[in-house]
Amino acid sequence: MHTLAGKIQSLTAEEREHLLPLLRNAQWVEVVGRDAIYKEFIFKDFNQAFGFMSRVALQAEKMDHHPEWFNVYNKVQITLSTHECGGLSQRDITLATFIDQASVF
Amino acid sequence: MDRGERRGSTAPGRLSALQQQLVWALLGSGLSRDVLVQAAGELERERGVAGGDVADKVGGESSEEGDEESPPPIYKELEQLPPEEAARQKAEVDQLLQEDPWHVAKLVKSYMQQHNLPQREVVESTGLNQSHLSQHLNKGTPMKNQKRAALYTWYVRRQAEINQQFTNAGRGLLMGEESGEDVRKGRRNRFKWGPASQQILFQAYERQKNPSKEEREGLVEECNRAECLQRGVSPSQLAGLGSNLVTEVRVYNWFANRRKEEAFRHKLALDVPFNSQSASSSSHTLSTSPTHDMKYSQQVTSEGLASSGGHHGDRSVGERLTVSPVQLEPSHTLLETHHKPASGGGPLPPVSTLTALHGVSASPAAPQGLIMASLPSVMSLGEPSLLIGLTSTQPQTVPVINNVGGGFTTLQPISFQQQLHAPHQQPITQQFPGHVGPSSFMATMAQLPCHMYSKPELSPYTPSSLLSQAMVITDNSSLGTLTSLTAVKQILSTDAEDQSEPPIQESSLHLSSSPPVPVSSESLELYPASQPVDDQPPHLLTSSPTDMDPYIPAQMVSTAQ
Repeated sequence: MHTLAGKIQSLTAEEREHLLPLLRNAQWVEVVGRDAIYKEFIFKDFNQAFGFMSRVALQAEKMDHHPEWFNVYNKVQITLSTHECGGLSQRDITLATFIDQASVF
Repeated sequence: MDRGERRGSTAPGRLSALQQQLVWALLGSGLSRDVLVQAAGELERERGVAGGDVADKVGGESSEEGDEESPPPIYKELEQLPPEEAARQKAEVDQLLQEDPWHVAKLVKSYMQQHNLPQREVVESTGLNQSHLSQHLNKGTPMKNQKRAALYTWYVRRQAEINQQFTNAGRGLLMGEESGEDVRKGRRNRFKWGPASQQILFQAYERQKNPSKEEREGLVEECNRAECLQRGVSPSQLAGLGSNLVTEVRVYNWFANRRKEEAFRHKLALDVPFNSQSASSSSHTLSTSPTHDMKYSQQVTSEGLASSGGHHGDRSVGERLTVSPVQLEPSHTLLETHHKPASGGGPLPPVSTLTALHGVSASPAAPQGLIMASLPSVMSLGEPSLLIGLTSTQPQTVPVINNVGGGFTTLQPISFQQQLHAPHQQPITQQFPGHVGPSSFMATMAQLPCHMYSKPELSPYTPSSLLSQAMVITDNSSLGTLTSLTAVKQILSTDAEDQSEPPIQESSLHLSSSPPVPVSSESLELYPASQPVDDQPPHLLTSSPTDMDPYIPAQMVSTAQ
């Protein structure tokens, strides 16, 4: 994850206060021991799961911000964090929102 | 991972569920369908096709799972699968070669029309000459067997390709579509509207000139359906339409162009008062273009050229010709005038009107045997239905004769461009009375009054060359049987022999008062050297009269201008 722009900033406390509740409502959980968010998705079958992953992948490339994820058949586990700033950034929030949208059929 | 081995059920259009997902993902990522399709083709080209459609060619069942299941070759042959398909196609080509060439030509042509395939594609892929190809398909011009083989090979191959496209239409990825086209042209063929679609669009245009997006999309569906039907295919097999697939963009552009066209026509009609005397009025194809360059057509009578019919250039003596007033100029000028936009007009007219104009203006420029006058106030030939005996192909040429006695009410000044390459030929210019009546201008061979030729000024020249530049023009009343050219020839030669230098004067160069138009080097001009035959002082054309060792026998006598 290389960005040509200025160094990506970690989320400020205010932003976290504002945004994290929303994410929590959407079943994103904060990872213990690191500044990251995690969510698990379960689909009907592998095809749907992988289709979802494809959409996310395309978006990730577009954003130049990639998730950490794991997939087994119809299950996809995603962890979002920004390596450059060692924690959550706006990109994670944006991607999380997109992921949620993409997971809905 | 047991669950992973379950096969995907057959998805609509033979796309597996995952394939569908992936395609959907791609489409959702901002790819347009067209781009996706195109990219698929490109990739396939680079890497070869791996997948089920190859199995089709192999003849085996196409498995949804593609590579894993059936043993199709990973790389699809660029053109076809070598053993079976190639043999089959070759056999078909051979069979076609046995048939009657004209019959097969009709077959090929109709297939191309049905699928709206451009000739250019055939030319590029076979190396045939386009003119030859066109003539062979349209007119039956013979084609050697080897070349026909190339043509039929393309035909058979293309047919297979299209059939494949249609059968694969259900698949999301239109594979193979590019294979036939990429190598040839850089990309796919240029889109072309089919007649069925155009009909639909015109009807819609009459209802509403500016359809909304929904309406356009509706038209897209309708047109594609019609195109598929025209090709004898189920309307859902859109992929087979290939580059001629109708999309919203095409429809949008079509409407935009039609609107522009109409505005342009409207504008032309407003700006240029349509001169009934202009040639273009007689040019039936020039519906949109009034002749603006009136400077050349002041004395022009609009003729019922259109009504008179087409080419008369090769008619033998004795036929009536109707000549429409035409601006006789070097062809480029003629083209130019026709193309010139209306006075206030700015840029070029919309494309399609140009096409129409081209068709018209091009014709007078290069008709066989058309002799173009280069005089300014000359009739412009709207069509090459001009002058008998003026074709260079005709050995006998008709002297231009103005029947003095007959009254020249319909005659107009004309000068001709001789199409022969005889050395000192000069254009015959003939001036006709300016008051051209509404009656058509007739050029025919008429009996030449002998006296007209007994001019002492005739210089000795070979009659043939003289004659070659002559045109007989008479008015209606004097139409009649034409004397044989030989008769004229004799007369002329006799005269010629008797004569010494002075050029023929009454030969008729009675030019109108308007400034003479520069004549091309090949044009023939007849200058009345000195005394006019009638009372009219001849005007000299730009070409110097001294050059006129005029062997032009034909005396063109013009009456009052």
